[in-house]
Order: sequence, then C-alpha cells, then structure tokens
Amino acid sequence: MKLDDTGFYAALIHELKNNLGLLAMTIDQIPAQNEPVHNEAVDAARLLCQGVIGRLQQALFIYKVSQQQMHPAINAYSTQDLVHEISEQAVALSRGQLKIEVDIHPDVPAIWFLDRDLIEMALINAIHNSLAYARSTIRIEATMLDGCLALTVRDDSEGYPEHVLNSVATNTPYRSTGTGLGLQFARLIAQSHDNQGRTGELRLHNDQGAVFCLVLP
Amino acid sequence: MNQPSVQIKDAFIDYGELRALVVDDYPGMRNALRLTLTNFGIRKIQLAGNAAEAIFQVKSKPCDFILCDYNLGDGRDGQQLLEELRHSNLISPETVFIMVTAESFYEKVVATAELAPDDYMIKPFSAEVLHSRLESVLQRKRAFHDVHRHLLAHNLEAAILACDEIIRSRPKYMVDALRFKGELLVTLERFTEAEVLYQQIIKMRAIPWARLGLARTLHMQKKDEAAEEELRDVLEQAPEMVAAYDLLSEVCLSKKDAAAAQAALLQGVAISGKTVRRQQKLGEVALANGDLDTARTAFTHALEKGRHSIFITPSDFGNLCRVQLEQGDLKAVADTLRKNKSSLQDSPEGQLVMAVTQGMACIQDGKLQEAAKVLDAAGALRAAGTRGDDQLVLDMARVCMATGRLDEADGLVSEVARNSHDSEALLAKAKRIYEEAGRSDAGAAVLSDATSGVRKLNNEGVVLAQRGDYQSAVEKLLTACDEAPYNPRIMMNTVWVILKYLDESGMDEKRLEYARHYLAEAGRQAPDHPRLAGLRLQLKEIEKRFGIQRAAQA
Repeated sequence: MKLDDTGFYAALIHELKNNLGLLAMTIDQIPAQNEPVHNEAVDAARLLCQGVIGRLQQALFIYKVSQQQMHPAINAYSTQDLVHEISEQAVALSRGQLKIEVDIHPDVPAIWFLDRDLIEMALINAIHNSLAYARSTIRIEATMLDGCLALTVRDDSEGYPEHVLNSVATNTPYRSTGTGLGLQFARLIAQSHDNQGRTGELRLHNDQGAVFCLVLP
Repeated sequence: MNQPSVQIKDAFIDYGELRALVVDDYPGMRNALRLTLTNFGIRKIQLAGNAAEAIFQVKSKPCDFILCDYNLGDGRDGQQLLEELRHSNLISPETVFIMVTAESFYEKVVATAELAPDDYMIKPFSAEVLHSRLESVLQRKRAFHDVHRHLLAHNLEAAILACDEIIRSRPKYMVDALRFKGELLVTLERFTEAEVLYQQIIKMRAIPWARLGLARTLHMQKKDEAAEEELRDVLEQAPEMVAAYDLLSEVCLSKKDAAAAQAALLQGVAISGKTVRRQQKLGEVALANGDLDTARTAFTHALEKGRHSIFITPSDFGNLCRVQLEQGDLKAVADTLRKNKSSLQDSPEGQLVMAVTQGMACIQDGKLQEAAKVLDAAGALRAAGTRGDDQLVLDMARVCMATGRLDEADGLVSEVARNSHDSEALLAKAKRIYEEAGRSDAGAAVLSDATSGVRKLNNEGVVLAQRGDYQSAVEKLLTACDEAPYNPRIMMNTVWVILKYLDESGMDEKRLEYARHYLAEAGRQAPDHPRLAGLRLQLKEIEKRFGIQRAAQA
C-alpha cells in the first residue's frame, strides 16, 4: 500500500479510532457503584469516548468520499431490527439520564433497502446531538412518507438554531466543524441512497425540539 | 414490499447454553470480547489467536457462535477461515458466524463475498450493537431451522418448500429466504427458475448479490453475452465484489477470451489476494496465455498464502516449477523443490511431482541419463496407482520422448487425451510436444484415436438421454467410462444419466453403485467442478427416496 500524506493521516486516524474502541470497551467494564460522583464521571468518560469515535469515523468517511465516489452497500435490512439497534445504543449512552422512546408505524414494511452501516452512523450522530441538548426525552421513529422510509430522531431541546436549518435546507455548508460536520455527513449519506430516480434527503426542522429526519426512497 | 410488518413473537434464546468461539490475533481484544460475551450471559467461551487454532478448537468442540476478526495477522484471514470451515463442513448451517472488520472497505468485500458471514461488525462497536446483531442472527437461524434441517437431510425439494413458506409468512426474512432458495435452485441445476427468482429480487432493488446470482444463472445457461454485460455493469455499482471478477473470468474463458479472463482475475487479486483458489486460477490462465511472469507470481502467492491450507495440493508445486522451467530458471526450480522437499515427500502425489519436475530439469540441462533414472522412479509411482494431474502426465510424456521411450510417451498422451477429450488447452499442449519431437504425424494419430472413441460414446449417450432412452444412455456412458476412467465430464454425465434412469425406472442397486463410484472419482479429478454439488445432492435424494441408508463409515 502506498501512503501519500493524506493516506498516512487516514491510517493514523484509523488506528486511533480502534484504540479508542478498546478504551470504550474497557470503560464499559467499570461496574456502577452506589456513588453518583463515580458513576457520573464514568458516564461522562464513556459518552465522550463514543463521541470522539464517532467524530473520527466521520473524518475517515469524508477522506474516503474525497478519494473515490461513494458506493453505498445497499441490502435488505429489517426496519424493526434497525430501529431496535439504534434505540439500544441510545439507552446505553444515556445511562438512565433521559427517556428513550421508540415508535414504528404499522405502515412501515418489514424490510427496507439501505446501507445499514451508513444509516446507523448518521442516526447515532443525531442521537449524540440530542443527548447533549435534550431536556428529558429522545424519540426514535420509523414512518412512511410519500412511499419513502422516514427515520426520525426527535428531542425536546431548544431546537436547531436558524442558521443550521437554513444551511441544510439550502444545501450549503456553513461551517465544517462540530455539529455542522455531522449534519453534512448525514446529508451525504441520505443523498447516496437513490432508487428509481428518487434521491434520499436529510430534513431538519423544529417541532417542540429538534427533529432530524432521513428520508430514504 | 407493501406488506406491513407482521409481529411474530421472537423465540427465547438461552445464552447460557450458547457455545462461543472468539477469534482475534490481538490478546487485548480477545479478552475484551470475552468479557462482553460474558455480560450477555454466555458461559462457554473459547478463544483462538489465529485460523489454525480456531479450526483446532472447532474440531475438538463444536460451537454455536463464532465471532471472528477479518484480519488475523500473517496466517489465513477471517474470510479464508470461514471458507475452510464451511467447505470442510466443520460448522453446521445453524452455526452463527459474525465477522469483525476494521474498515468499511473490507465490510464490502466480506458482505458481498460468495460465502458471506451471517453478519459483520465494523470496529469499534459497542456491546449493545453486538448483542442486538447476535440476537437478530439467532432469531433468523430459528426462522430457517426447517430449511437447515432439510438441507442436512439432503432433502432439497423440502428445503425449497420451507423457503417458500418463509417467503409467504415472514416478510422480515423474505429476501433472505429468496437468496437461500436461489442457491438451492442453482445447486439443483434449475437455472431458468433461478433466473426468474433473481429477476424478482432485482425488481425490488438491484442489489449486487442478486445481480451476481442472475449472471451466474445466465452463464450456466450458456448465455455468456448477457452474463458478461450484467457483471460489467454490477462491478460499476460494486467494484469491491470479488466474486464477480471470479465469475467474469469464467464467462470470459467460456467465450474463449483468455486475455479478458486474466484481466478480471488480476482485478480480483488486487482487491483480495489472499484467496488461494483465485491465485491458482490466475496462474493457470496466465500460463495458458504465455504470461509467465504473472503466472509465476500467482503460483508463488498461492503457495505462500495457502501454507497449511486444505486448498493446496502437490499440483501447486508442480505448477510453479513448470513456469520456472519454461522460463529456463533451473536454479529456481531446484530451490522450489529443495524448500518444499519435506511436504512433497509426504505423499506419492508429491513424490511424482518431484520426479517429473526433476526429469524436465534434466532434459533441459542435457542430462539424459539422470532423466532416465528419475523417470523410472516416476514410472514406479504410477504403476503403484499414483496418477498425477494431466499437466504432469504430459510433462512426463515429454521426458519419455526426450529419452527415447516413445511407446510409453504415446501411452501417457493417449491417457490424458481420453480423460480430457474436451480440453483444448491440454490437447494443444500434447500436440506441441509431438511437434517439438518432430513426430507431428504420430501425435495426430495418437490424439485422434484417443479422443474420437470417447467423444462418440459420450455424444451418443447424451443424445439417447435427451430422447428419454435412459437405459441405453446408461450403457453407452458406462462403456465410455471404461475407455476413459478418469474423465470428469464423462463420469458426471454418467452419474446424471444413471440418476435419471433410477428416477424413472426405480431402484437398481448395481447401477446406483456405479453412480456412487463415478461421482466419487469425478470429485477427485475435478474437485471444484460446479456440477458436483448438485449431483451429490441428487444422489442423496435418490438414496433417500428408495430408503437406502448407507452404513456410517466409522
């Protein structure tokens, strides 16, 4: 393998990401104690660790997209399993601090065609945002929208700031760090899903909190 | 896709009873994963640091769940381990195999591999994700329990019906069941039905594995133009799908475009070069194309990657030496033989490869007396029942000819020609040997004598079978088998016709025994032939139907 400069940094990030993964697993093994100070510190470390891993994954993803065209690996996945998996992670990350609600609308088909890993990465990123800003509840929903599968993460925070909503609505980048990077990344993922002339979309709006929605044809 | 999800209550899974095996080359990861699995309630957990250890563990204690890292250091990778476990039937279809990959690039290679794991995880992952993936796969295995049961009992028709039942009643598993059914139909050589099935999936969504399946059924029906078009197009969509390059090379070979076949294999090797059989195939195609450098690299890689692999045979050493001989690199030949002396001397096949290769080296070096000596050793091995592959037998014929043993040479060439009457590459090589020896006319006579009789019997047998006269077809083909006792094509045709005959006319112990014998022999001669699996299952079905239980070979 030939390593140009960016290739070298990508390999380095990759390695760091995996080491952090081990660190996260180690933190998972610290037992909870009857001492809030202890537990809160462990929770904070765990959340931070997962957050950094997510960030590094996004950086690698953007590197890959810059190197070659993105080919999502589309396959048939159970919508129920997908939502369940996301909510399990949300529950674990919130460690009882927030209520996690799940709603799969009866119209939603048993399977949908999508790139599970990319979609999960985008949804987990949205969950991380909500974990930081929600007051009490995060709600994960699967519904049908004009024949598309809509996967939604909804919280009861202050909502997205105006400039974020504008930039996603108009497809223009506004800044390339923090929350902004994650949302651009989610938009790219949604757009890489197409079917019969229709393209996936990321839709953001505020409705008693922030609403993050991936619409997949 | 319009059916709403039906809630069928999931089965209860007792994790305490689950036997797990964790395969990872990094001890820190192994231990972390063991702790994670313990937290799921799994009590029986084995650990392995590489593929060899994993195979040892599986052989000594069966397991229900294997969690395996794709990258296992220097030895075989996780995909090779999976292929070996499934190929040698070391794990049952009920065993869950989850692959862990470090990069999402490998995930695409792994997920689209012909022999895909049940699921895969991208590192790093949380315990929750692993748990929910494992739970999903275990539930899926439960849903497919009847399919697996029928498959293990070699009752393919029933397995297909069980798939149909899942397709009808469990929308969540519909696509999985369609995929399974497609593979069963291909195994049973019901290609038109399989084609319709893959088209049905593609209509829902053009997912790469369905398009690969479609291309395979097209190829099997000799619609190679359409197969190639489908493959080239799907590779635009999923350039990491290595299995598509393998199939593309097969399609190109049957279109007699050996250069394109080599190009396809080179692309496959660039993505995943560890697969021994891909390297072997590349070596063979490159050698036939006269591209000796590529052939040498590929055969060398096959031997390196395949160390301790079940896919390596003495023929692989013979192939590498053959290229080195053609390059006139006698020193390399001596090196190859010296380095692998112990493994070659282990078996009569290996000893034959050594003897013939040394003979070839001697005649290149002008040492005819020494050549005669190793030829005697080779002759003794053959007299004792060791055959050697066709290439090796032709090489032996060449040494015979160079040392003046013309009758022996003609006998060897005739044997190869009878047993490979349909291999243009081998017949062309035989012809060249005669040309080099200045005996073109003698060669033409030997070859035409050898092939015409066999070809005629085979064709007559096939025509009779097509007319439905299976009884006469069986007699013709059994005669053809006597003439060419190691010809895989003829043996498989014979088996197929006998099974048809039994199916129509009822039990006939003696003919059934012939079918068993020739199927086993065809398996030895052409272990990778795509028809074998189907014939084996058809044989099992016939045996089952007539209530024959072969005594277990203790």
